[in-house]
Amino acid sequence: MPDIKVIFTRSTKYLFFLLALFVLGWGFTTYQTVFAGLILGTTISFFNLWLLYRKSIKLSEAVANGRTVYSLGSISRLASAALVVLIAIRYPEYFNILSSIIGIMTTYFVIIIDLIFLRVIKGKQQEER
Amino acid sequence: MGALAAAIAIGLAALGAGIGNGLIVSKTVEGMARQPEASGLLRTTMFIGVGLVEAIPIMGVVIAFIALFA
Repeated sequence: MPDIKVIFTRSTKYLFFLLALFVLGWGFTTYQTVFAGLILGTTISFFNLWLLYRKSIKLSEAVANGRTVYSLGSISRLASAALVVLIAIRYPEYFNILSSIIGIMTTYFVIIIDLIFLRVIKGKQQEER
Repeated sequence: MGALAAAIAIGLAALGAGIGNGLIVSKTVEGMARQPEASGLLRTTMFIGVGLVEAIPIMGVVIAFIALFA
């Protein structure tokens, strides 16, 4: 399995691709609220992924140096998801709530699909050897 | 009833995620302490595991806020 930095970099790349697609959809289609919700949810989801990455690295450094870590930042991630829902409920004329929720889950889809992809590539490479 | 539904949704989701996260992090720290050379692999596994475990309470929070405010 690759290092955490490789996985984070790959996920970042795919999330930027997706965000660019959503911006194109927002600009060039009539479904502006749907794509605005997707952009909002994906941005917060991206923030959640970055926060988890940062906290994971801090935890491993703390274990290596014998220090203590008190939190993995779960409350911040839950609060950011709640913020997305509140914004989508408060401004339904700008953000579609369903697409905002799908946007929150984008990171997990990206991570799962990327892992399956990596497993398939790695399995094929091992078979060729 | 909306507040009760929100409380049950967020509470049970947070309970499950707390147990899951605790197990993941405790086993990772134990593994890092036993084998410091494998800490990169363990860190990656923990990153993915915690990320996927937290998807469920996030959906719980979303459902709770929709039940409360929508």
